Amino acid sequence: MDNNRQGAKASYVALVFFLGLWMILPSAVRRFNREAFAEFQAPALHLVGKGRDLARYWELKSRSPEELTAAARDLARINAALELKIHSLDDARKENLRLREMLRYPKTEEFVTVVARVSIRETSSWWQRIIIRKGRSDGVRPGCPVVFGDRVIGRVSIVHLTTSEVDLVTSPVFRCTAFLEGDEQYHVVHVSGQAGLALSAPRALVSIIPLDYSPPAGQVAKVMTTGLGGVFPSGLTLGTLETGVQSTAEKHLQTGALTPAKELSFIQEVSVLIPKYPTAGEILLTPADSAKPEEFR
Amino acid sequence: MKDIDGQNPSAPSDPISAWRLHAIFFFFCAGFVYVAFGLGYRQLFQSVDLTSQSDNQSRRVVIQPSSRGKIFDRNGYVLVDNRVRWSVKADLLALQPEFRKEYLELLKQEKARVPDRRPDYDQLQQTARLNVLNAWLTKIWFVIDSTNQKVKKGAAKVKSTPDLHPEERMVHPDALKKHLTERRALKFPLILDLAFLNSGHAVTPEEGNRAVARFIEQFPVHGPITLEADMVRSYPNGKLASHVLGYVRDSDVLKGQLDDVVDDEFVNLQKLGYSGKKGADGIEATYNEVLSGHCGWQLWTKTSSGYNKDLLRFDAPKQGSDVGLSLDTKIQKSAEDALAKIVDSQGKPLPAAAVMLDVNTGEILALASQPSFNPNEMADRVTQAYFHQVNSEGGWLNRATQGLYAPGSTFKLITATAGMRAGKIDWDDILDCGPSYLVGGRAFPEHEPSGYGQVDLEKMLAVSCNVWNYQVGLKTGPENLAKEARRFGLDAPLLQKPAEHDNHSTTELPNPATHMVVPDRAYKQRVTGQPWTDGDTANTSIGQGYLLTTPLHMACVAASIARGETRTTPTIIHDPGRDGRHAGAEPIGLTTPQLQALREGMLRCVEEGTAKSVRIPGLPYAAKTGTSEYIKNGEKAHLAWIVGYAPADNPVVAFCVLVEGQLDTSTWGGKTAGPVARDMILAWQTAADKKDK
Repeated sequence: MDNNRQGAKASYVALVFFLGLWMILPSAVRRFNREAFAEFQAPALHLVGKGRDLARYWELKSRSPEELTAAARDLARINAALELKIHSLDDARKENLRLREMLRYPKTEEFVTVVARVSIRETSSWWQRIIIRKGRSDGVRPGCPVVFGDRVIGRVSIVHLTTSEVDLVTSPVFRCTAFLEGDEQYHVVHVSGQAGLALSAPRALVSIIPLDYSPPAGQVAKVMTTGLGGVFPSGLTLGTLETGVQSTAEKHLQTGALTPAKELSFIQEVSVLIPKYPTAGEILLTPADSAKPEEFR
Repeated sequence: MKDIDGQNPSAPSDPISAWRLHAIFFFFCAGFVYVAFGLGYRQLFQSVDLTSQSDNQSRRVVIQPSSRGKIFDRNGYVLVDNRVRWSVKADLLALQPEFRKEYLELLKQEKARVPDRRPDYDQLQQTARLNVLNAWLTKIWFVIDSTNQKVKKGAAKVKSTPDLHPEERMVHPDALKKHLTERRALKFPLILDLAFLNSGHAVTPEEGNRAVARFIEQFPVHGPITLEADMVRSYPNGKLASHVLGYVRDSDVLKGQLDDVVDDEFVNLQKLGYSGKKGADGIEATYNEVLSGHCGWQLWTKTSSGYNKDLLRFDAPKQGSDVGLSLDTKIQKSAEDALAKIVDSQGKPLPAAAVMLDVNTGEILALASQPSFNPNEMADRVTQAYFHQVNSEGGWLNRATQGLYAPGSTFKLITATAGMRAGKIDWDDILDCGPSYLVGGRAFPEHEPSGYGQVDLEKMLAVSCNVWNYQVGLKTGPENLAKEARRFGLDAPLLQKPAEHDNHSTTELPNPATHMVVPDRAYKQRVTGQPWTDGDTANTSIGQGYLLTTPLHMACVAASIARGETRTTPTIIHDPGRDGRHAGAEPIGLTTPQLQALREGMLRCVEEGTAKSVRIPGLPYAAKTGTSEYIKNGEKAHLAWIVGYAPADNPVVAFCVLVEGQLDTSTWGGKTAGPVARDMILAWQTAADKKDK
């Protein structure tokens, strides 16, 4: 009995000791520990993601021949439609190229695209963060936009060696500028993620909407990136204003709830747009020891 | 139990000691009772007051100014709006650890540098704050200036922010000191109005938006530096109607704009306010109470060092009411564009004014004064240089309502009316008008060297014959001339607000002229101490001499003649239900042929007379030109006038244009002022045609 008490006491002492030690450790050591833990955890995250992929594979494999035949037929139709679309896009691409050459318009290949599978969601912030299976070794950098097709999913916040954490559009730390569909004057509006209630639908807020703006009649207005901020390419869809816009308490501006473009709860694969050249904000976020002082004017 | 001396050891050694013990016990008890009673008293009887005192010391109310109401023209076109102002601000409370760290570093350096001297701690603290804020500013500019984006080799770098001196991109020590003294609890503005061109932070509107977007997307979301949006005054049309609209200036006086809750419930709490805006000129000033709205408030707890800590309650500000003006933007623009074409030999616009009003209602459709100013320059913070530039040009004066001028030949309408009403002349009387007329031994000249010969009323108005007016003026007499001018309200102040308006200002536009002069014998005696002469009467009869009036007054005279009345009450506020009754108006008092001849003469003035060069084919209108002399810098110069109404047969609008000529005599009523009137009438016609369709 006494031994048990002694043991419990010792463990409490050890806990307090380690907590104290953690608090007084230099930040570099703490950062190293965090990184080390993330890298240690990474294979497990990979395993979870791959396990889910495998389960999906076996689930599909177990389908009956009739189902597979029907699916193959559907896919063939989709393939045919996509083939047609590829041809038309190819024509558009050539026309675009011709016009650019004619106008001597500079090429704007500013991003490198890296496709990444979603590994896991952060359970502590269900709607706000996902972990993807691409990291520093794949060239991913903090701040990179993450998209699915032409729809914005979020931004990379933390990068590990083989994994990265992505803040979703609905995360409170996400913000960007946008244009609204139907706004002929192209007013810049503000989009910011909102911390919603647990298990409630993901949401983001569109604010600083001019009072004279009204969504196009009979349709839900799209919210699109401006491309002005140097992070997101222009014209990507952030979501829609499904519930319209409401004027603020002071009645001089409007706000609206953004419904994200992609069902964030089912997302399995995303693309990371890696800027060819680091943005000023990215340089700012880089730890001081690696930032070049002459870059600050 | 006795000791060796036979005494009981537990008994007090001294009988007084027991008394002392009792006394001490008593004092302790009394003290305890006193404390208990005091606590109870404070808890039971003083708790409300003490709680209130505690709250007063630990809480404060931050007043948030409201957005001002908009100003529209008569067609609902926005003349004054509010726009979003993006500003980068620093949360000084959140920056405290950084300030402290920097301060300790500076202190260490200072002690190492001068070990024997006591450091100036206040100065070090101030320097530490400045260093930290400037370091953040450097980072902010680094992010928002897109030149810093690394681009592919060879690609052009586009400069996105103006080339400012490095000091202009740093925190000004005095500004920080003032903020810490007066508004420590509020965030410190590092960059005000990031996207607005006039603020000097952006080169183009697109670059302004880009700077905002770059900050939003690239600067850390959580941190001591934030981007905040508020509303400031915006004048979308720049200089258009600036003298009517006015401008706003910073104001800390928020009385009358506070919510009742702030006034009553938080009466003893410390109140801190952001700078609000107050109308300083034009409608912004005279309708300030209407446009201002009600301030919002936030109830905060505060830290011991005076910063805001937790937001307890708040109430959003309420925007002010809108004001609808009678102006028609298109006519106003045409008037200002036409005035801008009147320039001197150096190409500099001449001082001038133009007014057009609705004949029936008196509503002012256009009121322009040149030179003017751009209220956008004053919407946020006016620079000394711009203020002095406008001042040196004379741009603050609203010449249409505040400028006092001799009306010249446009006054001949009054002389003719006075003569006919006094029975000294009739509409068909013909007078012999030579090249001059002898008055008191002095030859008063005709502006046509050979004279006009046989002249009746219509011809007089068409050619603006002086000699006809000398003769009629002398026959009528100075008292009748003055009486008639007063009947037409030439000495009456205009733009008075109706009595029911609960407003600080009593006029619709600030400081309209009140010192108009309609001279008579008594006036001259009072002012100069000399008796009135026939020469004075002759001068008055052609609108010269001591006569002084404003262009708005003369536009009202034209509108009154068009209606066959004596008074027109002009107004700048649009009211669709206005009944067209004018205070003090009475019938003009002429017979039908007389009034007809007066109007016909004005029509002939345009068709064949002095305003022939600005006639509008297909749109006959009535006018009377005038060219009066005035002395500018000791030399003779001309004032060019034209007054009238259109259309001639069914008057709808009346107008007046005045141009101050320079030191030459090349400025003439029909030639100089006429084109402005013509352009205004054409703009009115276009607008009316569109409305009819």
